[in-house]
Amino acid sequence: MSKDFSIVGKSVIREDGFEKITGRAKFADDYKFDGMLFSVMLRIPATHAKINSIDFSEIQNNPSVASIITSQDIPGAKKIGMIKNDQPVFCDEKVVTPGDVLAMIVGEDETELRNLVAKIKVDYTLLPTLTDPTKALEDNALLIHPELGSNLICYHPLRKGDVEKGFAESDKILERVYTTQTIEHAYIEPEAVIAIPLEDGAVKVIGSIQNPFTARRIVASVLNLPNEKVQVVQAQLGGSFGGKDDTMCMLSARAAVAAIKLNRPVKIRYARDESILESYKRHPYILKYKVGFSKIGKINAMKIDLLADGGAYCSMSPFVTWRSVVQATGPYEIENVQTDVRAVYTNNPYTGAMRGFGSPQPIFAQESLMDEIALHVGVTPDEIRRRNGLKLGSVTATGQTLKEHDVNLIPVLDKAVSFTNFAQKWKANKKEQVAAKEYVFDKPIFRDEQFIAPDSLIRKGIGLAVSFRGCSLGAEGLDQSSCYISVQPDGKIVMLSGLAENGQGLRMTLLMAAAEELGVTTDKIIYLETDTSKIEDSGPTVASRGTIMGAAAAKNAAELLRAQLEKVVRDEYKLDETDFISFRENLVFSRKKGMIAKFDDVVKAAYENKVELSAIGRYKSPDVSWDEHTGQGDAYFTYVYGCQVAEVSVNTGTGEVYLNKITAVHDPGTVINRLGALGQVYGGVTQGAGYGILEEVTTNDGMIRELNFDQYLIPTAKDIDEIKPLFLEGNEKYGAWGAKSLGEPTLELGAAAIANAVCNALGKRFYNLPLNLEEVLLGRKLRPQDIKRGSL
Amino acid sequence: MIDIMCEVLTPENLTDALQLLAKADSTTKILAGGTDVVVGKTQGSKRFADTVTLIDINRIEELKGIFEKDGMISIGAATTFSEICKSKLVEEKLPLLKKASSTIGSLQIRNRATIAGNFVNNAPCADTVPALLVYDASIEIKSQAATRNISLQEFLQGPYKTQLQQGELVTRILVPTPKQNYAGDFYKLGRRRAVAISRLTLAVLILLNGKEIADIKIASGAVTPIGKRFPKLEEFAKGKVMTDNLLRDLSKKMGEEVLAVTGLRWSSDYKLPVVQQMFYQLLKGIER
Repeated sequence: MSKDFSIVGKSVIREDGFEKITGRAKFADDYKFDGMLFSVMLRIPATHAKINSIDFSEIQNNPSVASIITSQDIPGAKKIGMIKNDQPVFCDEKVVTPGDVLAMIVGEDETELRNLVAKIKVDYTLLPTLTDPTKALEDNALLIHPELGSNLICYHPLRKGDVEKGFAESDKILERVYTTQTIEHAYIEPEAVIAIPLEDGAVKVIGSIQNPFTARRIVASVLNLPNEKVQVVQAQLGGSFGGKDDTMCMLSARAAVAAIKLNRPVKIRYARDESILESYKRHPYILKYKVGFSKIGKINAMKIDLLADGGAYCSMSPFVTWRSVVQATGPYEIENVQTDVRAVYTNNPYTGAMRGFGSPQPIFAQESLMDEIALHVGVTPDEIRRRNGLKLGSVTATGQTLKEHDVNLIPVLDKAVSFTNFAQKWKANKKEQVAAKEYVFDKPIFRDEQFIAPDSLIRKGIGLAVSFRGCSLGAEGLDQSSCYISVQPDGKIVMLSGLAENGQGLRMTLLMAAAEELGVTTDKIIYLETDTSKIEDSGPTVASRGTIMGAAAAKNAAELLRAQLEKVVRDEYKLDETDFISFRENLVFSRKKGMIAKFDDVVKAAYENKVELSAIGRYKSPDVSWDEHTGQGDAYFTYVYGCQVAEVSVNTGTGEVYLNKITAVHDPGTVINRLGALGQVYGGVTQGAGYGILEEVTTNDGMIRELNFDQYLIPTAKDIDEIKPLFLEGNEKYGAWGAKSLGEPTLELGAAAIANAVCNALGKRFYNLPLNLEEVLLGRKLRPQDIKRGSL
Repeated sequence: MIDIMCEVLTPENLTDALQLLAKADSTTKILAGGTDVVVGKTQGSKRFADTVTLIDINRIEELKGIFEKDGMISIGAATTFSEICKSKLVEEKLPLLKKASSTIGSLQIRNRATIAGNFVNNAPCADTVPALLVYDASIEIKSQAATRNISLQEFLQGPYKTQLQQGELVTRILVPTPKQNYAGDFYKLGRRRAVAISRLTLAVLILLNGKEIADIKIASGAVTPIGKRFPKLEEFAKGKVMTDNLLRDLSKKMGEEVLAVTGLRWSSDYKLPVVQQMFYQLLKGIER
């Protein structure tokens, strides 16, 4: 490392850690106000239905009902959305997916409201449903939103070179179809929000909100208020993973409408089943890949067709699928690429942002495909990636030349491969594979040869996956951030950032960046709550941009402040122009005089001399470019690289996949908080494992089967034995000291690496996530006919 | 946010509890660990829809404790799985019950959930039922009027159905102290390694006379409508030499019986091969 850091790169315990583990941290549902009312949603058990009438007569005079809130109560926009305003706040005309809310009843007794909501009579006509995304674009397909004229949410083409020519020049062509499943974010804290009416018709919203500025924009549009009359404050967030955006904006809007109407604080809080029912999910994809390569495995051409099920609403689909179009080939240099990505409307639960954001799906496909190419060519999986992988000066599928940063794909691969002794293990496991033994269960009762010798029951496998990932928003949108810091007379520093703590530890990362620059310890800086009225909009906390954009702005603010302090030091301690001032551990040094003052003394002197001690730091992303017709351009200003190796044990009798070890090698640029970075890896790997082998939201005609954690299974600590994070900190000119991104890369590789490992164990490839018990044993999924449960 | 809207009565002794039960009607249920009742009530389960009163039996000393007396191991109905897991007596004499108990839910659930609750609820996947069945467990049931003893197998009638009558309370589980020389094992398959509802459970005890099977007890859970013993299989195996062929035959017969009981269901394609394979593996493991 070029710089001798005093704080950056160390492991620092997050500043809210004590509060969280002792239960003192205040989450949205912990806020209570005098006169606060609760809200309960009205839904119907229908996937697609026309609402004829709603009869509230049985409850409208009930003293427990303070008000019935319907779309009639909305003064402004009745439909909202992240990109397209296609989602009604209250669906009083039509329901297009089972999570839709028709109206809301508000009162003091939440339990009583739940009883009363059942007494509302809704007259509705069931409509035919569209739940198969492959049928959404057929000529006679029913339209989810007839006013839009089509079920196509978005289409991203990419054309580079000439794929047909590339295929013609290839020695071998493979065509494969992969599918990935819908999954739930599974944040531990379900949605909660409180809207509080203020004077002058303004409203304050406190909630478990991922992006307070987005929530402000939506609430203001629904209330028909200017932005400044809506104040959004983020409570402590119990996880988000991209999931507390649209849904929380929606709940904020509903609570605010009620709060304004009744002039009382109104809370909405969801239990888990309601959260899973209404909140958006990860897009399921159908991925068709055709690849042509030479005898030595050099890829000449890749033709990719991706179809994403956007569900009932647009949400973030255009941006999610845009990341897919940029990264669909994987981190490989391919001369001829043709990619088409579409997202479509269906009556399924709607899908939007989730950690990974359009990358885990194509990575599963493309990394499975790379392993197949390796087998065809007769080399190990790491070698096939070396032959095609992106290097400094490589041109990506979008025509972007990778430069001005360490293009560390091959280095992370090499590090992971040598650390795990990958190639040797992979070859040894391959030898052990039962020669082409397919488990065919043609008859219910076994033949003798189907019984497995006990010592052959468990098979070992090792697999890897690599990725490159564009940092921050890229050509999705404007990309800048702000950070305000000011020094109090006692030497304490306060910080405000426009980016939000989502539980990932962003606060400590920003504190460390500012502390490093100011030469103070992190305990001198207080991170103030995120409040839309107190700091500029810094864009959403998404796309693993918290560190690259946020820490850079914090560093910039600290630099400005430090310049002011240096001037004070020079005047106060009569230093000449040639002397060099440094700040370290709350002390100030002069090169010539040594330690000259405490940081607090300098602050005191500044106040006495009426020197301003506050600064707003900014960071603007470098320019990017995009041609939406050709899919060509410098999509992101820089990239990060990762490689994960999964070592698994597969039970050939049951299809169980046990994760013995996941080695995660990432180049996130400079690591700011090592502890935070490790946390990202542990969490991301675990989430990726869930995506790979366990998690799936399934539907029966649009109705979700897994509405709670008894059926929606995420991995426990017992399901993964060891996670080994390794960082390879490449040089980068952007961000704070070259600190880039880590959050999403840690999640996107696991499923692909695990699938490759299972294939290494069994000699059998899997094309459909997740690799659950049935998939591994039978090669297909089994589903109950309906959503009924015996225990009920 | 969970409000189950029930009145909870907390008798301090068995006499009081039985008195309360005698007066109660079908709207009253017994609350032990609450891991079925509270969850069911919250989920709107039909089985608890009418329930408005709960009799909490956790304070009743007579329903606690594990001890051996007159060749019987007696386990209080309100004994939690954590307590069972910690019991030296269970570890030594009823290792399959310890293993089954340790696979239930999470530590938090094991700290609350009780052994009687497991089979009084009688879910198909009740983890300890197969273990108790191979140990020939019986149960003591009391009402204000009478005490009766009944075998667990007989007590269990169907999914979520038992012989427990209005006014009755399961008070103790009685297991004849097994002969030392039974070998055996318990197996559970879930979708993950903890906090998992079982997809398959198996329990086997074998008494060998040289290579000959002198006695064998077999039970399963989660693959049949309720946990059950396999008497036909046991009879078939008794007196036979424990060869690999026999173990395969037994496993196939297990598959046939499961198929006969359940017919082909959506899950059969998976469960039938797995029950045969893992029963075979379990037997091979015991054979060693």
